[in-house]
Amino acid sequence: MLKMILRPRFTFLLSLIFMLAQPLHSDQADSENCSLCHDLASLVLMGDTGSFRNLEISSNSYRHSTHRNVICRDCHTDINTFPHPTTVQKVDCAKNCHITKPFALTGYSHVDQSEAHAISAHGKNPKYSDQKNASKPDCKYCHDNTFRNVIEDEVLAANSKHCGRCHEDAGLAGVILHVSSHSGHRSASASVKVVELCSSCHADESRMKNFDVNLTQVSGYENQFHGKALKRGMDNVANCMDCHRNHLNLPADDPNSSIHPNNIQMTCSANTYCHSNATAKFTAAAIHSKPTPSNNPIAFYVEWGFILLTAGTMAMLFAHIFLDFGRWVGDAWMRRRKQ
Amino acid sequence: MSREYTRFSVNQRLQHFFMFVPFIILVITGFPIKYPESSFGSFVFAAIGGIETARSVHRFAAAIMILDFVFHVAYVAYNILVNRAPLSKLYLLPGKKDAQDILKNLKYFLFLSDERPRFHKFSYIEKFDYWAVFWGMFIMAGSGIILWFPVEFSRIVPGVVIQIAYIAHSDEALLAFLAIIIWHFYNVHFNPRVWPANKVWYKGTLTEEEMEHEHPMELEEIKEKEKEER
Repeated sequence: MLKMILRPRFTFLLSLIFMLAQPLHSDQADSENCSLCHDLASLVLMGDTGSFRNLEISSNSYRHSTHRNVICRDCHTDINTFPHPTTVQKVDCAKNCHITKPFALTGYSHVDQSEAHAISAHGKNPKYSDQKNASKPDCKYCHDNTFRNVIEDEVLAANSKHCGRCHEDAGLAGVILHVSSHSGHRSASASVKVVELCSSCHADESRMKNFDVNLTQVSGYENQFHGKALKRGMDNVANCMDCHRNHLNLPADDPNSSIHPNNIQMTCSANTYCHSNATAKFTAAAIHSKPTPSNNPIAFYVEWGFILLTAGTMAMLFAHIFLDFGRWVGDAWMRRRKQ
Repeated sequence: MSREYTRFSVNQRLQHFFMFVPFIILVITGFPIKYPESSFGSFVFAAIGGIETARSVHRFAAAIMILDFVFHVAYVAYNILVNRAPLSKLYLLPGKKDAQDILKNLKYFLFLSDERPRFHKFSYIEKFDYWAVFWGMFIMAGSGIILWFPVEFSRIVPGVVIQIAYIAHSDEALLAFLAIIIWHFYNVHFNPRVWPANKVWYKGTLTEEEMEHEHPMELEEIKEKEKEER
């Protein structure tokens, strides 16, 4: 019997049977069968005012999202009955979920990120009006599902090949994938998405009009080497978050800010593939604000000098060429008339 | 068969070659970064293997161009200091005649006179080309080297210099590129009096008719000298 099992053909058949016996998708995250209702296409709730709210959560999309292993009630903690009430609290990302942190075996939660965000420039500030605070991005504003879905993480998986050389075990590779996607392992597409996401507000005049934000920062970044190289697929250049940090982004005048004059040298030299030996003078250069006569007169006038030099020179050269060509055409025309 | 007059020695033609080959490479590896959304740039970068390769190739070509420029300066210095070339033989130096020639040529262009300026070895057009490259080399190589080693330079110069180098490199590149493909190419290639091309950059010689047409004063001088020697 054992001999038979070890025969290659039989082993192949056996593995085939086991493979087919496996469910195609394990619905681990939905052990409470919320999808019974929420997977229904066009499941909507009609509000008192006659408006509709889409309540469909496609199991297929959910299975491919970052939170695929988290059951619904881990975040929607106020749901205790079935069927549950129609009004449900908003999810608080700082809550502990039932999954454990890899290696640490403590409860996993986004409380650290949430606390950093609360005191950052994006956090709600008591000195602003409620309306102003409401227009600041919360967790879910940036971490939407298209931004953190598994298809993006496949790019990261390719980048973490290095770890995979030793840790071949698929489970561990999954952990690495998960950790790496949150700890700054780079991929070109991820950096491009970060810049796109930040620019979607920071380059938008109508969204920034209530805040003390320089609108030229995005175009400044795009005109500067980091921005240009990123567009050309160089994935190890700095994106917005590399210098401004992801959650604890603070204005430059805050002494705890990564871009405060006292800290910026450390920020630029933090990574070996960045400017690891950056000097204070190097990091003091205004990196992506548009030069103006007041904030950076030298750069401003040098730039205008070159624009005038180029325009003036080319105008003269063009004039010379056209006059020269005009004389030749005139001569040719007169020669023809004489004939 | 008409007589051929030597215009550029093999040495000088090679200097031109080692200037324009790196120039073309520098343009095609540099402009896709200046214009990061251009489809031409995407095509070029796809063909040569992306921005990382382009940066290495750009710096290699730049090194060759700078060496060529240094060689040229040494060559001129050698001719002046060792060969004791007299100032009158430094035909590329601008002079009063160039201003007169410009006025004469403008009058000719505007049909105000039928007399063309009689150029010596180098017309003001060619002198402009030469000195434009001279100026361009200082701006491009200077700013390029700063951008190549920005952190090292920041030890000796303030940060704003690096920013200026970035502006200068990008803007002067456009000026140099336009000057070459519009001005230089018109004068040696597309000008109907020159069309299809001025072959002197590889032949090194001009025919009697070409001399008569483009450098009549030089031709006159050569003939007078030959008469004296006879």
